[in-house]
Amino acid sequence: MATSAQPGLLGLAGSAGGEALATNGTASAEGPERPGPLQDETLGVVSVPSQWRGVQGIRGETKSCQTASIATAEASVQARKHVDAEVQTEVPEPVSLPSVPRYNGPRLAAFLRKVEAMVTRELNKNWQSHAFDGFEVNWAEQQQTVTCLHTLSYPPAQEQGLHVTGVSWNTTGSVVACAYGRLDDGDWSTLKSFVCTWNLDRRGLNPQQPSAVVEVPSAVMCLAFHPTQPSHMAGGLYSGEVLVWDAGRPEDPLLWRTGLTDDTHTDPVYQVVWLPEPRHSRRFQLLSVAADGKVLLWQGVGAGRLQLSAGFALAVQQLPRNTKLKKPSRGETEVGATAVAFSSFDPSLFVLGTEGGFPLKCSLAAEEAAVTRMPSSLPLRAPAQFTFAPHGGPVYSVSCSPFHRNLFLSAGTDGHVHLYSMLQAQPLTSLQLSHKYLFAVRWSPVRPLVFAAASGAGDVQLFDLQKSSQRPTVSVKQTEDESPVYCLEFNCQQTQLLAAGDAKGTVKVWQLSSEFTEQGARETERLDQLASEVAS
Amino acid sequence: MSNLITLKPRISANQGIPSIPIRTTLDNSTTVQYAGLLHQLTVKAKSTVRDIDPQNDLTFLRIRSKKHEIMVAPDKEYLLIVIQNPCE
Repeated sequence: MATSAQPGLLGLAGSAGGEALATNGTASAEGPERPGPLQDETLGVVSVPSQWRGVQGIRGETKSCQTASIATAEASVQARKHVDAEVQTEVPEPVSLPSVPRYNGPRLAAFLRKVEAMVTRELNKNWQSHAFDGFEVNWAEQQQTVTCLHTLSYPPAQEQGLHVTGVSWNTTGSVVACAYGRLDDGDWSTLKSFVCTWNLDRRGLNPQQPSAVVEVPSAVMCLAFHPTQPSHMAGGLYSGEVLVWDAGRPEDPLLWRTGLTDDTHTDPVYQVVWLPEPRHSRRFQLLSVAADGKVLLWQGVGAGRLQLSAGFALAVQQLPRNTKLKKPSRGETEVGATAVAFSSFDPSLFVLGTEGGFPLKCSLAAEEAAVTRMPSSLPLRAPAQFTFAPHGGPVYSVSCSPFHRNLFLSAGTDGHVHLYSMLQAQPLTSLQLSHKYLFAVRWSPVRPLVFAAASGAGDVQLFDLQKSSQRPTVSVKQTEDESPVYCLEFNCQQTQLLAAGDAKGTVKVWQLSSEFTEQGARETERLDQLASEVAS
Repeated sequence: MSNLITLKPRISANQGIPSIPIRTTLDNSTTVQYAGLLHQLTVKAKSTVRDIDPQNDLTFLRIRSKKHEIMVAPDKEYLLIVIQNPCE
């Protein structure tokens, strides 16, 4: 039966065509004999010609256009005079102190004799003076309390129930970026997630609308801005990959990626850190730390790929035995690393936080080969040099003091923050901040005795060791329903700002009171005192 | 308490030339910085004192900051700068 519909039968054509489709090529046209559900059948070709196109004819008209003629004119130009001049730079003379004093002589001696008595008198007076005791001058307007400046969120991510897993400030201090993911998922997920940036200096900032959004195929676990490029950021994914994006290119933000090779991590990447390259101090390489116990250094090579340039692996048998640790269950040889912090005084020294709860002192220059079964293109080394006394649970965050070369903090799931010195295994002090987990701890970049901690009870606690060593000085509630705060970062350029991200998918930028942003007199000495007073 | 002392001549003929340090216990870059800045401040302080009372003259300049105290003893040709950490 022919299946072409006549152009005139607009009303019936549809149903006629439908009947034709129901029959198959081999059966007769009467009755819709359908074959059984699991048998093969072949259908003839069906074509449904257009019904309306035949009605409209084609109309054509001829049109032409012509540009108006272009007017041209000729003129000539000639330079009349010229002057020759030469320019030559001179080698600049370096400014240096004369090594041999040129003005030595009797006049200098006479001056010194004349002035010495007066200066010595003033120095002695100062030494004994109480004139300025308790005298403090405040130049800036005093902010009395900690206030929330901005509440930033990205509604599509919040609708998916994503948590903020990492925040980072860029090198100019004007852009804050946050990474979305989930921290309580136990299984492998193909959840799409986002990395959003907000430019806080821009006028008309809409807190629900980030300046740039990057879509990522897997949950992002950590984020770090490049130390000198204001728009480059690196993130570690749940799948073990490390990616670098350029937030300034919205159409194709992905710059570098590690891909999924033998070298990449097999577990979620918990932290990424930018390090200066050993030979070129202007270029940077990426260090990533993951739960599979590997600490890997990546360098960008052509075509957007990150290549492994050095690697370390932690193994239980190779941990230094200076602290008694729990015996690991049989078969476990890897020690998962959950956090990393580099010392500001020694660029090759770093502290790793582990799932076993004990921080490790490690060095990039370690030579010993690692005992590991994981395949890798480069030989992996064992970095650990010293083991510290463990927390009651995994360590989620470590932070090295920017003012003292030996002090660092670690925070774990037992709700305690431990202050360690690199020189001894037992912590100097242990503070219980919360009954729930602690997810992040950071030293303040301006005040040597202040640090901030993010707790699972939904508040950000600011601790001033000068005022009280037992209770937090300020505790601000970030979430109303006590959902945890997962990450926080101080802004190094605008030191009164602190960004914290929580499980509701919002990032709050807190403005700290003046007491947290101005260094008092003698704080560095107090810190030294603290470090040495409890040393065994 | 740590005292850091620098000593420098002042070329009074030409105000445009910054002071040149002769002797110092600080590192070079900090010394040059202190020399230039304090020289300008001393000139300003001296002119302030003279403006208020032409018979008067600057003998000693002390600047107290949160972290230390800077003392400047001026002279026709030389300048002595001392930086002291006060103990409280």
